Amino acid sequence: MRIGLGELFGAGARGVSRYSGTLLAVFVAQSLLAAAIILPISMALAQAFSHLPMFDEAVDGDLVALMWCLRHGRSVWFAIGGIVFGAVVVWQLASWFLAGGLYGVFAQRPETRGDTARCFGASGAATYLAYVRLGLCSLPGWVLVLFVFGNGMNFVGTRIETALTVTELIGPIALALVPPFLLLHVLWTVADYARCELTLRHDTHEPSAVATYARSLVYVLKRPITLIHSGFGWMLFLLVTAAYAYLAQGHPMYGAGGAMTLFAVRQGVCLLRMAIHVGVMAGQIELGRARPLPSRRVDVKAEPRS
Amino acid sequence: MVRTAVIVVGLACIAACGRDHGTARVRPPPNKDGSPALRGGGAAKSPRIANYKIDARLDASTHQITATETLTWTNSGGSAVDKLPFHLYLNAFKNESTAFMQSARGMVRDAKITPGSWGWIHVDSVKLAGTELVGKLAASGPDETVAELTLPTALDPGASIKLDFSFTAQLPEVIARTGYKGEFHLVGQWFPKIGVRVGAPGAERWECQPLYATTEFFADFGTYDVSITVPTTYVVAATGVLVDATEAPGGTRTLTYHAEDVHDFVWMADPYMEMISGQAKLEDGTVEVRVYARPEQKEFARRHLDAAIGAVMHFSAWFVRYPWPIISIVDPPMDAPGAGGMEYPTLVTTAGDTVFARPGMRLPEYVTVHEVGHNWFQGMLASNEAVEAWLDEGVNEWADGKVMDELYGARTSGVDWMGWQAQLASLRRAYAEDPSSVPTPIATAAYAFVDYNGYGEATYATTARALSTLEQTVGPTKFAAAMKSYAQTWAFKHPTGRDLFESLSAALGEDLTWFFGPVWQSVGGLKLGLRTATCRLAHPARGVFGEGSTRKLVTDNEAPETGGYLCEVVITSTGTIHVPVDLELKFADGATQRLHWDDKGHGAWQRFEIERSTPLVEVWIDPDGKIALDSPVSHHYRIEGDGSASLRASAWIASLAQTLMQIVGP
Repeated sequence: MRIGLGELFGAGARGVSRYSGTLLAVFVAQSLLAAAIILPISMALAQAFSHLPMFDEAVDGDLVALMWCLRHGRSVWFAIGGIVFGAVVVWQLASWFLAGGLYGVFAQRPETRGDTARCFGASGAATYLAYVRLGLCSLPGWVLVLFVFGNGMNFVGTRIETALTVTELIGPIALALVPPFLLLHVLWTVADYARCELTLRHDTHEPSAVATYARSLVYVLKRPITLIHSGFGWMLFLLVTAAYAYLAQGHPMYGAGGAMTLFAVRQGVCLLRMAIHVGVMAGQIELGRARPLPSRRVDVKAEPRS
Repeated sequence: MVRTAVIVVGLACIAACGRDHGTARVRPPPNKDGSPALRGGGAAKSPRIANYKIDARLDASTHQITATETLTWTNSGGSAVDKLPFHLYLNAFKNESTAFMQSARGMVRDAKITPGSWGWIHVDSVKLAGTELVGKLAASGPDETVAELTLPTALDPGASIKLDFSFTAQLPEVIARTGYKGEFHLVGQWFPKIGVRVGAPGAERWECQPLYATTEFFADFGTYDVSITVPTTYVVAATGVLVDATEAPGGTRTLTYHAEDVHDFVWMADPYMEMISGQAKLEDGTVEVRVYARPEQKEFARRHLDAAIGAVMHFSAWFVRYPWPIISIVDPPMDAPGAGGMEYPTLVTTAGDTVFARPGMRLPEYVTVHEVGHNWFQGMLASNEAVEAWLDEGVNEWADGKVMDELYGARTSGVDWMGWQAQLASLRRAYAEDPSSVPTPIATAAYAFVDYNGYGEATYATTARALSTLEQTVGPTKFAAAMKSYAQTWAFKHPTGRDLFESLSAALGEDLTWFFGPVWQSVGGLKLGLRTATCRLAHPARGVFGEGSTRKLVTDNEAPETGGYLCEVVITSTGTIHVPVDLELKFADGATQRLHWDDKGHGAWQRFEIERSTPLVEVWIDPDGKIALDSPVSHHYRIEGDGSASLRASAWIASLAQTLMQIVGP
């Protein structure tokens, strides 16, 4: 039976609504990490700028003040860049566990809250190293994306520099960005389906990361629905982000209270985006489940659950 | 899906392709300008020492010019002359060994030197009263950009000489102020041009510098009668007014221009340019402002035109009235950026056209105002750009900021786009290098700067900031009058930096050596800072007072705290430049108090003691932003830190980090 887009979206919506607690738990973990970096960043900024009213003007949108502050506290900005990079790396490491847990939950569909938690933890832990290996095998693909992007920009760089109208800009930018983004999208989707397979077949097959990646690549290229489905997810993600940016424009929130309000509003946006992501993951499991089983490379480790 | 992808990629390819202008069409003969070379046809404004008559023909396919030139030069000095030096600027692009190429290190103003497209000028003949002298013409200096002609007999003071040249000029692919790109030709610095005699009468010397990447030009005023023969498909813009246009054999046309009281002659020829024009209204008439641009740049042409009209009007009102009837602004094609942003008398090239310069982002307007402004600061006040580049670039930059503020609003003269606003001068100041870090002072010959950036920062930015600081220190109205006086005194002459300083000091009625000396001659900049700002509860003096029987102990109870505060503020100025500075103190009750430190270099710090009923909360050095030579970031200081802005910024950064997290993970 062929699964259509509608079923994938339906599976996503069901997954999100049925396991909203799991979604919230992952979101809380992410928000905690994001909130945790507020403290060192705030301390670093306060150390450099709390005595300088010009920084207040910069934060309130004064372009010239912002330029002065960026110049004045160059080392602080580098430090903040390091903190952000560290947080993203930590999340990447954690996401191998969290994604494994989520895929596991959608694959096994536990009933109770306790079962869901156990399933999440067990699945995340069981597939963690396999996901890490998968991450390593994906690396050449990301390098290829960078290569295509660099070459594309190099190819159209002069046209971008000499563009006079937005119409003239769109062509070269599309030419430079579409190939790497398409490639990125394909490779991203391949990695997602490889994760699905590693989760779905972990108990019975213990497949190798490289073979899984290769099989998923073939599968994704043969089934464009995989790309369309996850493409919709990214488009929704961008749409939510753009809508927030549009609505937030012209609503400065001053003072410490404003900071907290902004943070709260942004958390709402992040939660919505995470729900989109998780919905896509649920759909991917639905489709992955329908994939033909790979040939067994090892003996069955355990009976599959009924 | 495949079909869609093919269509998308095909459209992208088409959009990414270059612009096609089609076949160049024959242009109708241009109308003669019909106006005298000087507005109103007035008397000569300059001594007209060097007068040229040139007949040139452009071979558009080889980008080569063959020409004859008659120079009539007058020895206006007090000593006889036995040698005449000539600039042969195009030889700067002859090979990699020239002073220009060596100092450019492969790139000038973000434009790369195209290997193999060399430019040169060769003097085929120089005759004096029919006698061939080309054998007496020899290169002088580090390369062939200057050649000296030994005269058979010395030329006495007051006497004139008439020399007939014939020469061939090969244009380089456009690199710095001159050259071709495709069918576009900007023909600048293209003919043998005599140097300038400077110095006290009787002790004159020649000023005729080789061309370096950082140097520009210096020449005597005179008249130019120039005939240019180009294909009939070409549009031509040139210095001066068009006095004749005649059809010539071989699908060509000869255009004759006449210019008076100018010190250079440039022309542009291109088969695709269109011209739009407007009028700048001055007190005594109008100036026709023309903008030449290719059709794809027409939106920018309109912006350049508006900026140029405004610039002509304001520069005329503030300094000297524009004396010529026409000013042309050439907007070079997008693939010829090396031709952009250059000034010549009555014709300038602009730049800044890009999709990123949306309306409200005023880079194109700024470039136009700057280049048009050069018709005053160098075009009329013809300083020596090779030796004192700051005298035209920096002074012009200072004036540009004022013109831009006047034209586009003081808060929006740099950027007014999507809610972002910034003043041009403030933006450039925030972007510029810290003046104290440049190891060569402003008063450095253009070719002697540590590097190109050092030249740019000191010559343009720091000079403009210094003048702005002086303007605010002495008062804008007085300063405007002083600058106008300088401009009117020195128009159509060759002012030096010393002339500017003396003129300003005289007009302002003050010896400004304390300012000009450190700012122009020294490195180290201006560094204002707050060293301490403390308050303690005030009380009458306590302790033991008097001797013997009058000895008295004043205890804490006998001298209780008054409830007021004794505050101490120490300001430092640790750079080499010192200027008077205002100080604003803000107290907890909201009251403010102004103080003044008349710092003219007598000390490096100043202590202020103030008694107030509430403690100090803020110290603001230079609250009116008069001092543009120092970074303003730490001028405004809060005694007790306030982390709310830091918290807001960190919340924003954290949400950005969370977005990145959501891209890499769930």
